Amino acid sequence: MHDVYNFVAGPLVWVAFIVFFGGWLFRLIRMFSLINKKEPFIYTYMSWKYSFRSIFRWMIPFATTNWRRKPVLTIVTFAFHICLIITPIFLLAHIILFDEAWNISWWSLPEGWADVMTLIVIGCCIYFLVRRLKSPEVQFVTYPSDYIILAIVAAPFITGFLAYHQWINYQLMLILHILAGEIMLMAIPFTRLSHMIFSPFTRAYMGSEFGGVRHTRDW
Amino acid sequence: MKKAAILVSLVLTVSTLLWVTAWSQEDIVVLDASAFENSQRPPSVFVHEEHNEKAEIEDCNACHHVYDDEGKLVEDESSEDQLCSDCHGLDAEGRQPGLMKAFHVNCKGCHLEQKKGPIMCGECHQRG
Repeated sequence: MHDVYNFVAGPLVWVAFIVFFGGWLFRLIRMFSLINKKEPFIYTYMSWKYSFRSIFRWMIPFATTNWRRKPVLTIVTFAFHICLIITPIFLLAHIILFDEAWNISWWSLPEGWADVMTLIVIGCCIYFLVRRLKSPEVQFVTYPSDYIILAIVAAPFITGFLAYHQWINYQLMLILHILAGEIMLMAIPFTRLSHMIFSPFTRAYMGSEFGGVRHTRDW
Repeated sequence: MKKAAILVSLVLTVSTLLWVTAWSQEDIVVLDASAFENSQRPPSVFVHEEHNEKAEIEDCNACHHVYDDEGKLVEDESSEDQLCSDCHGLDAEGRQPGLMKAFHVNCKGCHLEQKKGPIMCGECHQRG
């Protein structure tokens, strides 16, 4: 078990983070080079003011018509994304591993909070799954891969929850948890999860086009 | 009457069994975590004698080390008459790690070197 753990918690972590940040950079470089090649004219109306106006507006729950139109989805979406990002970054066990490896540490969530936030992520994933299966307008834009992507996101949290409580086989669960996290990180730049990279740019573009060209709001 | 006798002996047997298992819990020793103010995990399982027998450790200072003021390990001296928390405060001081990290590095560090023993969080911090 030592060898397997040391491999997934050592070299594979490096691979995952290099692919994650490298992929992030690659997608950005490619996006800008595509703009420059095909649509450089968008720079004539891209605006910092309208960009940030749109980004901030859409970051506030219920501040846009679309957020108000589907209140349950809005709450689930915000709860999901906040917990998804905050929990792993401020998880005590993760920080301890960073501290042991690089001698750096930062504030951590009380474990009870992290536990609840993990359950929120899992619950939201179930909501997204049911919505994808039941809602016709979502079905219409669903590829089979979307279910796999949802599973990729849910897996680190389900295995992390089970490992934390030491239910079922702890050692196996922890190794699966680390693997699942690495798979998720590596999938982000190359799947629909890349909205993590692109969403600020999408908003910036929409904000600028609506603000500068159509002279209206994009919310 | 016979029924009652069976019932009584059954209760006695079960309670004896329970008592014996409860008693044998005393063998399981955990590290003294009383210095921690707000423990997030159960204290680490550690059976001193069994561990040292299994790991074939004879020198106390394999774990109970002494470092001098310059942060150098003092060979041939040991600190088993002190608490870990006598030196290691909750926070790191210079190169001296805080208590939690000292435990982690001391135990897990050796287990990694020896390629034996627990190295995952929950292998030591076991939930009941």
